[in-house]
Amino acid sequence: MRKRFLSLVVAAGMIMASLTACGSGDKNSTGDANKNNGETQELSDEEKQAAIDNLIANTEGTVDLTLWCSETQEYQDVMSELVENFKKEYKDVDFNITVGAQSTATCAKEVLNDVEAAADLFVFPDDQVNDLVKAGALQSVDATFTYDPSQTNSEATVDAATVDGKLYAYPLTASNGYFLYYNKNYLSEEDVASWDNLLAAANKQGKTVGMEFSGAWFLYGFFAGAGLEVYMQEDGKNYCNWNATDTEYTGADVATAVTNICKDEAAVNCSNEIAQAYALKGDMIADVNGTWATSGFMEAFGDGYAATKLPTFTVNGEQVQMSSFAGYAFIGVNAYSKNTGWAMLLAEYLSNEESQTKIGIATGEAPSNLKAAESDEIVNSPAISALLDQSRFAHLQRVNSNFFSSGGTLGRALKEGEYDDVQKLLDEAVEGITQ
Amino acid sequence: MIDKLEDYYTELHTSVKKGDLWTRLSLLIMGIGYIVRGQIIKGILITLAEIGFFTFTFGFSMHYILKLSTLGTVQREEHLDLVTLTKTVNDYDNSLMILLCGIIGILMILAFLHLYIVNIKKVYKIQLRKENGKHINSFYEDVKSLLGKKFYIVLLALPSLGVIVINIIPIIFMACIAFTNYDIDHQPPTYLFTWVGFDNFKSLVTLGDSTTVTFGYVFIRILIWTILWAFFSTITSYFGGIFLAKLINDRNTKWKKMWRTLFVIAITIPQFVTLLLIGKMFGDFGIVNSFCESIGLTKLLVKIGVLNASSTCIPFLSSPGWIHIMVILINLWIGVPYQMLSATGILMNIPKEQLESAKIDGASDMQIFWKITMPYMLFVTGPSLITAFIANLNNFNVIYLLTSDYVTANMQFANSNAKESDLLITWLFTLTNDYSNYKIASVIGICVFIICSVLTIITFRKMIYGGREEDFQR
Repeated sequence: MRKRFLSLVVAAGMIMASLTACGSGDKNSTGDANKNNGETQELSDEEKQAAIDNLIANTEGTVDLTLWCSETQEYQDVMSELVENFKKEYKDVDFNITVGAQSTATCAKEVLNDVEAAADLFVFPDDQVNDLVKAGALQSVDATFTYDPSQTNSEATVDAATVDGKLYAYPLTASNGYFLYYNKNYLSEEDVASWDNLLAAANKQGKTVGMEFSGAWFLYGFFAGAGLEVYMQEDGKNYCNWNATDTEYTGADVATAVTNICKDEAAVNCSNEIAQAYALKGDMIADVNGTWATSGFMEAFGDGYAATKLPTFTVNGEQVQMSSFAGYAFIGVNAYSKNTGWAMLLAEYLSNEESQTKIGIATGEAPSNLKAAESDEIVNSPAISALLDQSRFAHLQRVNSNFFSSGGTLGRALKEGEYDDVQKLLDEAVEGITQ
Repeated sequence: MIDKLEDYYTELHTSVKKGDLWTRLSLLIMGIGYIVRGQIIKGILITLAEIGFFTFTFGFSMHYILKLSTLGTVQREEHLDLVTLTKTVNDYDNSLMILLCGIIGILMILAFLHLYIVNIKKVYKIQLRKENGKHINSFYEDVKSLLGKKFYIVLLALPSLGVIVINIIPIIFMACIAFTNYDIDHQPPTYLFTWVGFDNFKSLVTLGDSTTVTFGYVFIRILIWTILWAFFSTITSYFGGIFLAKLINDRNTKWKKMWRTLFVIAITIPQFVTLLLIGKMFGDFGIVNSFCESIGLTKLLVKIGVLNASSTCIPFLSSPGWIHIMVILINLWIGVPYQMLSATGILMNIPKEQLESAKIDGASDMQIFWKITMPYMLFVTGPSLITAFIANLNNFNVIYLLTSDYVTANMQFANSNAKESDLLITWLFTLTNDYSNYKIASVIGICVFIICSVLTIITFRKMIYGGREEDFQR
């Protein structure tokens, strides 16, 4: 394995060598230090059209572009269709656009493996923005030419795509995040309002409720709901006050509350696929999960299929609304693309209102475009409306990977409830998260 | 050693001192000494190699070698012209490229220097042959001897080149990365990384200021587990394989071929499939657990105190201790069929006379097994046992695939991005793949390399040196 790893490193190095060897020679050194001042620049309509005309005039030969998006058939089909439409839009230019399959969950990893060989455009979830920006892999959206993403998309989405006041990607969908799926044949709306009611109702019927308590991503919902914070600071390290003792609800209070929920016999700590299997078996009647599980729960719950915002939970005898991570999918343009201009125009095209509606209908993911989000197909989905409902309590996911390693272990410890000193446990976790 | 070095330079000294004009001119144009003495093609080829080397070095690698001391100073800057929608990028440094091409460049220079010195000596020898009126090989004769008497040179050329490209350059490259700050904050090509001396090694062996964020704490524990794992997984599948082979070979066993085939089938199913499947089966909600629960085993274990009162499942792959034992047991499934196959072959080769005479002397089956079969087996399979041990030190698949769902409950492991069941190699993988911490990963890589090579050298010396091969034949 060591050798395999090494040869991978060297192979990657060799590829880079051959690329830079032919590439670096003809890159002109910029004389002017005309740096971007951070803001997206406002161009007049004439300037925008002139820029596109200039680009068309300066384009010689075939424009090669690669687009990476989710590997599902629906995504691939709708993207190919949109790419064809884009080609028709600019008839004078000869395009060779390839649509490749790349799981969005690992997109940043794949791009960063060899940023010079990665696709010109890629669809990725918003939590990867920081890693990509940190590695300099994203072309900042210095200006837009056909529409203005910051006007047409929800403010939260645009914020999520912005790092240090600079827009780095084109918002595409607003469908990442978690909420509660439940079976309304067993649970009433009152039951799903709080964890206490939910667990009591499940216990009464001998059923279970699932959530991945030992996953840092889900665990966040409890701590953030109680007003505790974790986020990445400017120096790239996490800030975390989950061990705070001077807040309205202290970290220890929340930790104890989580342990209390997990101690209930009806609460099952399980990941997505196991939850779906249990739901299908009929044991599990509610689960905290995301839109990717929609079809699974639709099948499992049948006519009882329903979804809603996350329940409240009891801290120090008070009911506190759970929070969650909000998530979006973006289209990013590779900073190392050979055809930056065309890549930017294609990204704009794929993320405009019309395209977002088509993608939303084809894939069932809620559009981030405000107008597209109002279309009927999208409003009528229980999962999407639950997600929108929960989004009022949701926060942006801005943490580095240390959060997941140490946070997951904290979740496991809280779930098992076998700690002596909860404050010490939280202190250690925070030390790991903020390292 | 020193004698050889001395000879090397005396020879060089005489060659330059006693060489005639042409020999000395070869110091400048390497092929000239051959050309004037009739070896025209050889002379041209060597001169071409010389030209090739200088173009490579001064046209390509020197650029990188000069920057090796800093690993680059110019960071990438780009500018998008909004009027023409075209992008300009400055002529930036890529630390990774500088390191890689720098290393290759230096190796080329060293190789060339050696060739250069050998060349002068060769030219001088040819000068002597000419003076003494001896025969000088033509190009045709040279090629003929390479394909005939000196064919081993041709044969070894390709493997040696392979070793250099696949092994030596990556090892040097990795060793160098261990002395840099190549991590998530310093990722080429956009950002530069640079030399930091022994800082990474220090962070691995010292406890640091923090009580929980320490690679040292985790490193020593993972190292111990790695060695324990390699030892037990090798021993268990080795003996498991021998017993299985004995069992199948026993004259009372029927359908020998069928049994053997069944176990070979286990080999042919890709490990990825079997391991992922077994991992799911032994999961907290897996089929094994629901079976144990339905027959009341889980309750029994709780009652006798093996499990906590609150346990609802047997934590086969979700609790330290359990997970360590389980991976060794599951590894049996992967390892035993291979050992069985090789053991079968060897068992069939044990001289029948020895076994029969032992029986006539009244030895029991057990005595025969421990006094004749096992020593024979151990002798024949000794070296392969060591290779198996080394391979198990780096047994990535079993550990990674079986424990990928395991979340550690130990905060000190979590804070170092590790878990109790990790081997050095899987920890290294997680650090690079999930946390882009290349610097620490390289330090671990060097440790693995040192452990593996020291063990290999020691054990092979003991087993093969000292004419022990003849020992047995007597």
